[in-house]
Amino acid sequence: MQISIKTLSCGLLAAAALSLVACKDLLEVQPRSNGDLATALSTVEGLDATLNGIYDRMQSTNLYGRDFLAVAEALADNAHATNKSGRLNNENRNVANASFINWATSYFAINQANLLLEAVPNVVSLTDTNRRNSVLGQGFFLRGLLYHDLMRAFAYDPGVENTTQSRGGVPIILKGVNNQEQLEYPARAPIADVYKQIYSDLQTAANYFGRSSANAGNIPAYGNRTAAQLLLSRVALYNKDYATAVKNATDAIGGTVKIVDATAYVGGWRAPRNPESVFELQFAALSENIGVNTSLQTTYTTLVRTNDRGTTGGFGDLVPNPAFLADVRSETSATGFADVRAQLYELGTTGRGTAFVECTKFLGKNGTINLDNVPILRIPEAYLNRAEANLMLGNTATALADLNVIRTNRGLVARTAASFATDAAMLTEILRQRRLEFAFEGHRWFDLKRRGQDVTKTIPLSTTANNLPYNDFRILANIPVNEVSTNKNLKQNFGY
Amino acid sequence: MRKLLLGSWLLSLLFCLPVLAQDVAVSGRVTSSDDGSPLPGVSVQVKGTTRGTTTDGSGNYKISVPANARLVFSFIGSLSQEVNVGNRTTVSVRLEPNAQDLGEVVVTGYGGTINRREFTGASSKVAGTAIQNLPVGSFDKALAGRAAGVQITSANGVPGGAIQVRIRGIGSISAGSDPLYVIDGVQLNATNNASFTSSNPLAFLNPNDIESIEILKDAAAASIYGSQAANGVILVTTKRGKAGRTQIGLNYYTGVDEPIKRLDVLNTQEWIALRTQARINGGQAADVAKTTVLSTIRQPTTLGDAEIAALPTYDWQKEAYQNGRTHNYELNMNGGNEKTRFFVSGSYYTQSANVVNVGFKRGTLNTTLTHTINSKLTLEQSLKISTITARGQQGSPNGGSFLGSSAFSSSLMIPSVPIYNPDGSYFGTPALGGTPGILNQNIIQVSALNDIRTNINQFIGGLSLNYKPFEGLTIRPFVSLDYRAIKGRYFTDPRTADAFVVRGRLADQFNQNINFLSNLTANYNKTFGGKHDIGALFGIEYRSDINESTSSNITNVPTPDFKYGNAAALPQSIGGAWTGYHKASVFGNLKYNYGRKYDISLIARIDGSSRFGANNRYGFFPSASAAWLISEEGFLKGNSILNELKLRASYGTTGNDQIGTLFGLANFPSLGLVSAGFDYNGSAGFAPSQLGNPDLKWETNVSTNLGLDFGFFSNRFTGSVDVYDRTSRDVLLGVNLPFTSGFSAISRNAGSIQNRGLEIELNTVNVQSGNLKWKTSFNISFNKNKIIKLIDGITPLANPDSAITISYTDYYGVGRTAIQGRPLLANYTTEYAGVNPATGRPMFYDYAGNVTYTPVSPRDLRYLGTELPMFYGGLINTITYKGLSLDVLFQYDYGRRSFNGQTSFLSELAGRDFNALRSVYDRRWQKEGDITDVPRTINGNIETRGVSGLGGSRTLEDASYVRLKQLRLGYDIPALMSKKIGASSTRVYVQAQNLITWTNWSSYDPEFLNFGSGNSGVIPNSRSFTAGINLTF
Repeated sequence: MQISIKTLSCGLLAAAALSLVACKDLLEVQPRSNGDLATALSTVEGLDATLNGIYDRMQSTNLYGRDFLAVAEALADNAHATNKSGRLNNENRNVANASFINWATSYFAINQANLLLEAVPNVVSLTDTNRRNSVLGQGFFLRGLLYHDLMRAFAYDPGVENTTQSRGGVPIILKGVNNQEQLEYPARAPIADVYKQIYSDLQTAANYFGRSSANAGNIPAYGNRTAAQLLLSRVALYNKDYATAVKNATDAIGGTVKIVDATAYVGGWRAPRNPESVFELQFAALSENIGVNTSLQTTYTTLVRTNDRGTTGGFGDLVPNPAFLADVRSETSATGFADVRAQLYELGTTGRGTAFVECTKFLGKNGTINLDNVPILRIPEAYLNRAEANLMLGNTATALADLNVIRTNRGLVARTAASFATDAAMLTEILRQRRLEFAFEGHRWFDLKRRGQDVTKTIPLSTTANNLPYNDFRILANIPVNEVSTNKNLKQNFGY
Repeated sequence: MRKLLLGSWLLSLLFCLPVLAQDVAVSGRVTSSDDGSPLPGVSVQVKGTTRGTTTDGSGNYKISVPANARLVFSFIGSLSQEVNVGNRTTVSVRLEPNAQDLGEVVVTGYGGTINRREFTGASSKVAGTAIQNLPVGSFDKALAGRAAGVQITSANGVPGGAIQVRIRGIGSISAGSDPLYVIDGVQLNATNNASFTSSNPLAFLNPNDIESIEILKDAAAASIYGSQAANGVILVTTKRGKAGRTQIGLNYYTGVDEPIKRLDVLNTQEWIALRTQARINGGQAADVAKTTVLSTIRQPTTLGDAEIAALPTYDWQKEAYQNGRTHNYELNMNGGNEKTRFFVSGSYYTQSANVVNVGFKRGTLNTTLTHTINSKLTLEQSLKISTITARGQQGSPNGGSFLGSSAFSSSLMIPSVPIYNPDGSYFGTPALGGTPGILNQNIIQVSALNDIRTNINQFIGGLSLNYKPFEGLTIRPFVSLDYRAIKGRYFTDPRTADAFVVRGRLADQFNQNINFLSNLTANYNKTFGGKHDIGALFGIEYRSDINESTSSNITNVPTPDFKYGNAAALPQSIGGAWTGYHKASVFGNLKYNYGRKYDISLIARIDGSSRFGANNRYGFFPSASAAWLISEEGFLKGNSILNELKLRASYGTTGNDQIGTLFGLANFPSLGLVSAGFDYNGSAGFAPSQLGNPDLKWETNVSTNLGLDFGFFSNRFTGSVDVYDRTSRDVLLGVNLPFTSGFSAISRNAGSIQNRGLEIELNTVNVQSGNLKWKTSFNISFNKNKIIKLIDGITPLANPDSAITISYTDYYGVGRTAIQGRPLLANYTTEYAGVNPATGRPMFYDYAGNVTYTPVSPRDLRYLGTELPMFYGGLINTITYKGLSLDVLFQYDYGRRSFNGQTSFLSELAGRDFNALRSVYDRRWQKEGDITDVPRTINGNIETRGVSGLGGSRTLEDASYVRLKQLRLGYDIPALMSKKIGASSTRVYVQAQNLITWTNWSSYDPEFLNFGSGNSGVIPNSRSFTAGINLTF
């Protein structure tokens, strides 16, 4: 009897043990709130989700959520930091390492775009050509935009390379990575090669959009043909390739988005969607609200609505400096400041300390404080790109015409050719209009940089001028330490 | 034939009669030698027979025994005693406790226990009585200083808040370092899922329900738990019933929890002058600076010196740091008979923190039941139900630099800012324009109005059937359920700054964890030939642990009266997630003892887990250990000085399966994943979030332990010395990838870490004369932690160290840097070089040791100590005299270096609109030639062409401390007096916690955990005084 119990229990245990080990399913647990990277992009829905994922990256504060507007302004000469939250103080002083930090975000998004572009041909269920071309167009457009922003932050622009300091462009990655066998350790490509790639992406994008009926519906929330053209005209201008800039600016102007006149201009900035936007990143859902610390509204203003100094919202960390305010207010009319753009700057509250005149382009226009769409490409840029490119090509008359499109639509009188003593004077006015038009939209820093100009500014809190000569290494942002330490082929920017 | 049979029967009866006639009834009383109190439930056995009984509630027994019988009295926690009855009819004995000598029992897991004399591994035991009635929310907090090799750190002073337990250092970089907790056989899920309050998954247990805590430290002790054992195992045994008269215990204590200290900050006049100077130093004209400062604090800019001198100063810390209260009510019952024994208890515990409106309430119900069905079957059941309500602090559960946090902001408030308006209402509410300065909120209002709360409901139950088919074999099926539901809410009142504009915000959390465990073990013990003892354990186990959560965030309520979701108009976000894992295991243990002198133990376990990658599903964890009881050898036996001496050695491997990131994709670390939430323009999106690695597996710990246990002078001086090497291989690392790959890292088993240490536990009975007894226990643990290897191919940093480093986010969400060849939790920064006496500017050392205003990273980075201690431990003195007892526990922790975030803000010297610490203010540079370590004040804290004056190692401080952790004076009221109120015993006591702290740490409390913002806004531990009474009926 004893033996049998012993045998029985041992047998029982052994059997149970074997069944436990043998039963493989027991250890199979699949995630339920994540998807499989290897198969996620194999459906049309997966492609849409991937595209949304790229736009979502663009919303990062490292890119258009804040930095490519506000950090660019802090680095340049339009604005000064108020030290109300302490943010952007270092950027405003051009402290080394206080600059753009979009490297990782941009390359993550580029990988998503690469995976998307590779996946599209394999999604057999994507039979709708319009939709397919729209998806491809957006993929190429976004990749082009991402490379453009990487180049703006981390590399010198063509024609003004500081040859002793330049370490080239940025790595060109065109293959998606979704498993560890695909990992690569790329070097920085020559600047010209990256430009070539951006041209290619934007032209390809424009072609696909041209073959998609979905294109019109994409304006302004998604990549679209006009956006690709307008961006390409800018990239060409940066590349000193003026003919391409003119051509693509003209194409963009021929699109459906039109410049608004002086009476509608300020109203355009009060609407959730700016009517001049060709491409405008949507911050629609409340969960996308960047919040009281780093949203554009809180960065630029303490106000929560115009003409109400009684309620304090954000910090108002970065405000127009006296030089900029003087410039935007320099032309007067019988009723006051001639330039309607001056109306976008008003005195903030004292809730966070001393009141400053602040930029009100971002005021929680989507119905919630700190929730604003971010215009990335507005149609006036097409006129300014074309004006500048034409002037550089010697076409002063057409340049003047475009300059006056801007001036007259902003409440300023048209200038005559005779009023400019030299072409240089006209160029100065074109660049001035560019500065006034896109102030606090992040253009100024890159416009100075692409032209090899010094930054001249005085910050109220410091006794000496905080000028930054063009040959200073801080013109370029530092590449993240991680990148240099993980990839021996990659060279850090000079000075870091 | 019939006659013959009858005759022989009668004959045999005759033979038997004398035997029967010689049985005598013996009775007596069993008492404790400690205090003379009666011991109920003591087993009284006639040696060599199955005849036995147990003592009743008064310690009395009655048994009939044959002549010349020997009685064996045995009782858990006491030395067994054999008494020759002789011709006595009354045999009373006093049982000696064996709490500290080598005779105690070691709980080894899976229902097993072993006499410590035969134990081959390294473990420490803490008796439940040692931590009884301490005003702590969870038992782990009470372990501090009591066991060698076990470092206990409170995350903060939140009652029932997070605690960190580290056994023999840290062996992981980005994986978890928490021990496995097993409570009455239930393997707990101890992840912390409460979003809004500092919580502790162990707080469900009333510490007074604990019988003993066994801490398994080396591989020999722990490897039976395989892939969960690398960080040590803590086995908690709760109280079970004792047969005898039903005993009813009533327990109550109450006390206050007061702030240990408040920081000395500037008054209004000093602050105005300092802030003005900061602005002047920043380049403003003196008159502009003054008017700017006055306008900042909303005073008329025309104020003259006399008017400024008349401005009042308000003490915000006094409002924020207040006395908390503690109450504990408890009722327990304990009793049963030989067949069925029970222990039931209920308790209600409330404690409020020393910071306004933070607190903890817990109700518990606990039952344990042991029922003997028949001689072969015994049922053991335990069920613990608890409900906790914790109120948390503004911002984040474990502190942080949140403007609205009372703990953080009260010392930083500009001192001229009033707390209340003259009518008693709050000053500086958002409706009134906020408070001046960066801290634009009235934190007292915020603390009072916001409702930050977590309800945690837990039940933990286990059921086992012990089946003993024959002598020596026990087959034991066991099932358990560890269920935890967390319901959290964070209501930000629309009258407070953070939610004024959005008109109220409500964040809700629900998290449910279901942890099911089932195992089947067979345990066989047999003695052969009198000298060979063998023991064999074989078991199989399955565990399924599933966690689901939902969350929501909505804003805009009509009025503050509406605090729940259906009143809120604007949903902001809704979340939900699922995670889980399965584990299946086979394990076994073979033990052999020869002649009570030599012990060998072999353990092996195979763990399969869904957490491991497809190519490495199963891990194998063996260990071997041996012990030699030298004092049993002829040459030592009977030695009058050295009465106990035992040598232990062990070698083995354990695993760490905490390899998922705690906050991210827990449980699926090996898979390639896309994650949701990358939405755009109202439609769903996803993005790649994890690059797969099918080879990913557990971390392997190879540990070697050498131990020596000794006892001198009849065990009046006992102790243990252990040396160990714990080398962790296959350490999980996020191997950084170039971002150009689209990923920041991939998880690989790449690193290696070594912990080497020495542990000493010493116990002495200093005085034992008559009624006076004085005992001392001392323990000290040295641990040296070193990162042996990170990953191959890391480019050394361009600095003189050529340091090989990795930046990583640890399991607890804290961003850190690991440096090869250095300990973990390193401080890696530029070294502060003091102040240039000529200019008052802060200076730093560059890579070459020269001073510079602008250190460059990484060129000038240096290793400047670690947040790990060099050594730590405790010193316990217990003095008893008659009914009086005094316990004194000192706890110490030496060698931690940590950034002092809270002090950093206070060291800005009004470079921004914050108040400043007086000790820093007094040392500040003021004029040329001042030699000091505090730079001149400057607006914005950065000198032109300089870096922040608070950077580098400026605020890196030594966080070592010695703490008079516990002082308890107890008195057993004499039985005669006790009886007058009907109680069999009455004990009253007063105690103090954290009475005195010796430290150089300049902020509130050197004991804290860094959850990413260092000690900023961390609610400090309190100094508490409690008084209580224990009644037993």
